Amino acid sequence: QLTPSSFLRIGQLSNVDLNEDIHELETELPRQRPNEIPHNEKLLSLKYESLDYDNSENQLFLEEERRINHAAFRTVEIKRWVICAMIGILTGLVACFIDIVVENLAGLKYRVVKDNIDKFTAKGGLSFSLLLWATLNASVVMVGSVIVAFIEPVAAGSGIPQIKCYLNGVKIPHVVRLKTLVIKVCGVILSVVGGLAVGKEGPMIHSGSVIAAGISQGRSTSLKRDFKIFEYFRRDTEKRDFVSAGAAAGVSAAFGAPVGGVLFSLEEGASFWNQFLTWRIFFASMISTFTLNSVLSVYHGNVWDLSSPGLINFGRFDNEKMGYTIQEIPIFIFMGVVGGILGALFNALNYWLTMFRIRYIHRPCLQVVEAMLVAAVTATVGFVMIYCSRDCQPIQGSSVAYPLQLFCADGEYNSMATAFFNTPEKSVVNLFHDPPGSYNPMTLGMFTLMYFFLACWTYGLTVSAGVFIPSLLIGAAWGRLFGISLSYLTKGPIWADPGKYALMGAAAQLGGIVRMTLSLTVIMMEATGNVTYGFPIMLVLMTAKIVGDYFVEGLYDMHIQLQSVPFLHWEAPVTSHSLTAREVMSTPVTCLRRIERVGTVVDILSDTSSNHNGFPVVESNPDTTQVAGLRGLILRSQLIVLLKHKVFVERANLNLVQRRLKLKDFRDAYPRFPPIQSIHVSQDERDCMIDLSEFMNPSPYTVPQEASLPRVFKLFRALGLRHLVVVDNRNEVVGMVTRKDLARYRLGKEGLEELSLAQT
Amino acid sequence: ALELAEELAEGLWDAGLPGDLPELEPECRSLLAAFAEGSAALTGCLGRRARPVRLCQGCHGHYRRLLAQYGSIVRAVGNSSESHNCAKSILTSDRLQIVVTLSEFFNETWEAANCANCLKNNSEGLSNSTEEFLDLFNKSLTCFEHNLQGQAIDLSPNNYTEVCKNCNETYTKLNDLYNHLQRMNRHGGESAHSAHLCIDVEDAMNITRKLWSRTFNCSLPCSDTVPVIAVSSFILFLPIVFYLSSFLHSKQKKRILILPKRIQSNASLVNIQEKYS
Repeated sequence: QLTPSSFLRIGQLSNVDLNEDIHELETELPRQRPNEIPHNEKLLSLKYESLDYDNSENQLFLEEERRINHAAFRTVEIKRWVICAMIGILTGLVACFIDIVVENLAGLKYRVVKDNIDKFTAKGGLSFSLLLWATLNASVVMVGSVIVAFIEPVAAGSGIPQIKCYLNGVKIPHVVRLKTLVIKVCGVILSVVGGLAVGKEGPMIHSGSVIAAGISQGRSTSLKRDFKIFEYFRRDTEKRDFVSAGAAAGVSAAFGAPVGGVLFSLEEGASFWNQFLTWRIFFASMISTFTLNSVLSVYHGNVWDLSSPGLINFGRFDNEKMGYTIQEIPIFIFMGVVGGILGALFNALNYWLTMFRIRYIHRPCLQVVEAMLVAAVTATVGFVMIYCSRDCQPIQGSSVAYPLQLFCADGEYNSMATAFFNTPEKSVVNLFHDPPGSYNPMTLGMFTLMYFFLACWTYGLTVSAGVFIPSLLIGAAWGRLFGISLSYLTKGPIWADPGKYALMGAAAQLGGIVRMTLSLTVIMMEATGNVTYGFPIMLVLMTAKIVGDYFVEGLYDMHIQLQSVPFLHWEAPVTSHSLTAREVMSTPVTCLRRIERVGTVVDILSDTSSNHNGFPVVESNPDTTQVAGLRGLILRSQLIVLLKHKVFVERANLNLVQRRLKLKDFRDAYPRFPPIQSIHVSQDERDCMIDLSEFMNPSPYTVPQEASLPRVFKLFRALGLRHLVVVDNRNEVVGMVTRKDLARYRLGKEGLEELSLAQT
Repeated sequence: ALELAEELAEGLWDAGLPGDLPELEPECRSLLAAFAEGSAALTGCLGRRARPVRLCQGCHGHYRRLLAQYGSIVRAVGNSSESHNCAKSILTSDRLQIVVTLSEFFNETWEAANCANCLKNNSEGLSNSTEEFLDLFNKSLTCFEHNLQGQAIDLSPNNYTEVCKNCNETYTKLNDLYNHLQRMNRHGGESAHSAHLCIDVEDAMNITRKLWSRTFNCSLPCSDTVPVIAVSSFILFLPIVFYLSSFLHSKQKKRILILPKRIQSNASLVNIQEKYS
């Protein structure tokens, strides 16, 4: 008989020195390190877990795979294509919905405010217009912020960092739920209508991912509906592939850039690519942009015109003045440098702000108040700028959506109002395409300055909104200013059109802030519809990235770090060769025996101090003093399913008529496995035995203790592992390497840094 | 036809006749002459009415006639034999194709001026709304004149109060009518191109507006800078209060550190730092 309290701890090493080390360590355990510290960037949160990209190749899995014949695999393949088409269509439809609703609501708001301003310009009392505008903005944003802060906080922001993490293999709670999608879509609409300095493009990527994750599972846990389809895809590996297709479809719907979308998924997420997957993702992107295009063409009244491929359309850059010459290349590169510096400044300011927000503004009601204040201030700044501006331009046709006359002569409009009194998307397009002379340099300068700070202040609020459009807008404004001053300085005809400088400025600013390279180049190229701009845009983005990286890192990476997410980059830190698996791993490891007592399993799973998810399974040897070799690996989720179905040895022996557990039972519980507390195990059952050999993964990946960190890292990252067992030369478990063990080494300013784990 | 002409030319060359292709058919020639005269008339009309713009009102007859003449050239099949086809010989037998170019130019000008917008549907005359607008426009111009004559003795630049007071009604009517026309047009128009009113109306309105607000300085909006500054500084002040109070009163969020289970867990960092310092 076994002693009840004996679950095996294997930490005794054959090495004598090591034992001494452990001894030393134990004696000085009550260290002087403070237990509570303010939030900082050098932390890893325990909240985040890994996704199981590695299939657990247990007997059940192998049996099922053997049963599926060749034809069945073909149907699986067809199902994949069907799912991708559906992802594309739904993403496109969601984008249409957002676009149409934003257009109408924002139009309504601007008309109301414009009528009010027109009325009070004649009679006096413009302060009431200002109050009206600020109140409208603040109340709309309040609704948008309340739903995000109180219902689904993960829907805040653009969602790109979260999707980056998800594709990297980090399980962000709630990130791909239907509820998140609903909140995200409503939140984006409300924050854009609320006049914040935000765009609706970034969140499309998140929306597309949620749609993909939802469809591919064939059910919604939020709605408690199971359509009994696509059950084969209910695991993390398959889901990840579809999520990357969804992200691509989102980019494609947002910018009308299907290739850019594919490349975005490639650049940001994928570690595992094959050409079939790429082709499928491309298919989803194309379908998405096509759907958006056709629905919007119907909406705008010119059926099947197919001329609005994305949420934002940069318009056509194909007249002769928009061409560029070789002499302009150095100028573009210089603009890249400026963009890099401004982007770095943006990120640095946003870093301090975000840190402050995490430390002090963590209560939901404070977050809502903050968002409302930002909305009110945005309206006020816009109003004051318009009020003070004396830059009047004649109205030409209907190129200006909401011309505000204010103090201009009849028949003229205030040109500051085209920039502030409009949705940001429209302002960007105006800056690209308005004829030279539509803006006075003073107007542009003030606009850039104000919008820079507003956008910086806005990003990181508890509203769902993207940073793409504000960055483009800032860049377009200073780019246009740059173009105007060039033509002023040189008086040459080639500098005639400031529109292309606005485009390059927009690219530089966006590149300086988000530091994307390949995908951003292609997205900008596709959005302008002009392949010849590819080369200057690439140069601009490269320069912006190089210059920006010299100061601080990109906005998304920064936010991932501030959220303490264990994010694995492409490579291990360059100077980490001296570290070996022995120093990296966690030890001692909680192991299970192949035939284990149920009570022990329940105790281990219920132990809150060690919330482990994977347990090495070792040979069940009654003699506990002897260390046994590694036999396999079993996951917490599997154990919970086993306990729930009471798959105990005694029950089988009693010849109870019991259905044999199938892989389907594991899949049905995916992805929300019940917590251990919800599983009732009676006192009698605690003494039963449980046989894990059929359910464990008998061939887990292992490394020897001497493997260097880069080698471990490569294995871990390339295979998308969750647990990597460290064994000694007798195949005995020595330690365990998980994502947090690897992610805590980071290259800081003074060489290699180690992050600490924290409860958040 | 080209082959034929080449053949003919070659034949003529061979026969020792250096020179011309056969003359244009007489009926074709008369068509061409009519077109030439029509276009001269239209050009003259356009030029004379360029400033202040009265193109659509004055030249629509010429334009219509020219269209008809061009149409008869295009439709004129002439005799059955191919060489006598007027349309071909006038329109397409040389590189320059001057007749086509001219007609295209007129059409484009007409389109750009958007004259169709203020003509009746059969384009035989000005539409009712345009007539109404021009009527009002003339009225307001006469009003301006009358009131200016009254005070012609002291034409100090800022003393137009009389005009502003007396003509305010007509001007407002005119302005409202123009805005109304514009709105109608925007709703009725199916594409972005027809968003403009016709150039005559636009120009008339522009002139009046400029006179009214630039020369006479009549539309003086009340500027209430003090309340605007007060309200905006109040709103701008709120975030400062918010951030300060949350900094002072909100409890700073603390993170609880977890000690990792690790061999030499505090020695390893020292190791790293020693190696790389």
